[in-house]
Amino acid sequence: MSIRRILAMNRRYFYTLVHNYDRLSDSIYWPLMDLLIWGLTGLYFAGLSENSEQTIAVLLTGIIFWIVTWRSQYEITVNLLSEMWDRNLVNIFTSPLKLSEWITAVMLQGGVKMTISILFSGAIAFILYKYAFFQFGLWLIPIIISLCITGWAIGFSVAGLIIRYGQKVQTLAWTGAYVIVPFSAIYYPVSILPSWAQEVSKIVPTSYIFEAMRQHISSGHISLEKIVVSFALNALYLLLSILLFIYGFRESKKHGLGRLI
Amino acid sequence: MSNKILEFKNLTKKFGKFTAVDRVSFSLREGEILGLLGPNGAGKTTTIHMLLDVLTPTFGEINYFGKNLTDHRSEILKRVNFSSAYISLPWLFTIEEALTVFAELYEIPNKKKRIDKLLSEFEIEHLRKKQVYKISAGEKARLLLTKAFLNYPEIILLDEPTASLDPDIAVKIREFLKRERKEYKVSMLFTSHNMNEVEEMCDRIVFLNKGKIIAEDKPENLAKQISDSEVELLIEEDEKATRLFTREKITYLKDRNIFRITIKTIEIPHLLTLLTSNEVEFQDISINKPGLEDYFLKISKGVKK
Repeated sequence: MSIRRILAMNRRYFYTLVHNYDRLSDSIYWPLMDLLIWGLTGLYFAGLSENSEQTIAVLLTGIIFWIVTWRSQYEITVNLLSEMWDRNLVNIFTSPLKLSEWITAVMLQGGVKMTISILFSGAIAFILYKYAFFQFGLWLIPIIISLCITGWAIGFSVAGLIIRYGQKVQTLAWTGAYVIVPFSAIYYPVSILPSWAQEVSKIVPTSYIFEAMRQHISSGHISLEKIVVSFALNALYLLLSILLFIYGFRESKKHGLGRLI
Repeated sequence: MSNKILEFKNLTKKFGKFTAVDRVSFSLREGEILGLLGPNGAGKTTTIHMLLDVLTPTFGEINYFGKNLTDHRSEILKRVNFSSAYISLPWLFTIEEALTVFAELYEIPNKKKRIDKLLSEFEIEHLRKKQVYKISAGEKARLLLTKAFLNYPEIILLDEPTASLDPDIAVKIREFLKRERKEYKVSMLFTSHNMNEVEEMCDRIVFLNKGKIIAEDKPENLAKQISDSEVELLIEEDEKATRLFTREKITYLKDRNIFRITIKTIEIPHLLTLLTSNEVEFQDISINKPGLEDYFLKISKGVKK
């Protein structure tokens, strides 16, 4: 692997961010809107409940944590799509760039933009609601890494379908991640899900993280077991998703990448 | 021009039951410019995409510099580049940004110097801060060529490189390509619909039709395969000429005093002797010998049939 080529791809996606207002609004506008709408809604409902502080904390942390997963998957899928929209896909994959280097570059890009988004969202939450989501302390590190890996795994699965079937399935870049949202139990505990959905949530890594989040908000402690299970599931899914992407890429090459530009 | 630096054997691409490229084999020598010609759907782009590893062949082997493309992809593509009229660069980027990204992808030392030199060579240095979507089609073609030469390629695949260029710029580009070949022995695989350009540029031509090689030769030898020439005569005594041609059963087209006669090239001296011996004077004569375009048209007609 060449570090220079990985950095070159990161430069390429950084320029896209700078020039493209769509991408800037994805990074700033939508997280801001989510925090405003859900934060204010949370404030209203919190006023109706006995435990108002916890309610608002669950909502705001849920929003910020979901941004981690969303952004890390979005960077992978939309960066792949941007090559197709720019008719640049053939240029990129006729260069010496290896597929492993592209994979590393978009993971890195997703990680960086996720960090920017989370810092931005955390600051907004503090300014608007005096909510310090950094109260999770060092637990934030494994939590964010786990959520980020889930995002990568979703991203590569969707990217595998996009590279194989082209822009006709591009809507998955925006909708794909939401498949796991109901089972992730972001704003509610897993226990309120129907029994069949609770079974599904057992294989969704984010459900363990959001359960851990609520546990920390209510008791100040986190069960290490939840974090470990989420990491184990994530490791498996990330591996499978990368294999799926490589398979999709190879299948696509049988039909020609030139058809996708 | 002896070393084969690109060689492929029995290259075949099937899409379901349709065979787009059928057991094509040829090679490219060091410093050679090879034209890949054929009517639409002949398999040119399919072949080029397989050579660039963005399309997997159904079977066949591709070797660059004696190494297999599948096994040494990244190492090979560092020494190869391409330009096509059908691709673009990120449209919101400035020209400088787009070229910087590719210079880094090809790990070019002294990238700024190289970019500056090529921008100047292709006369687009004044556009360096302009975004790709704001430049004209001709400027974009030159930008893509700039990208294609960034990595000092030893082999370059050019798909319609001078399409949409003004004639004066096209001439400069051709001069640049010839110079690159002469000075650096760059080998080129060249497709174009401009037959005059192909005749001027290419040492050898591979003619594809329905995915198969139907001819492989020097441009002038392919043109020779068309035996008919067109002779245009300006004859003031047109009645005398008409009688002669009718008597001798020579088919002609007449437009006022101009006679157009399509005959085999080797029969032209006989026609001229006939005119002289029958005291038919002509005031002007022009002979249109067959060119590569005539060969292309003949083959294309064959395809339509």
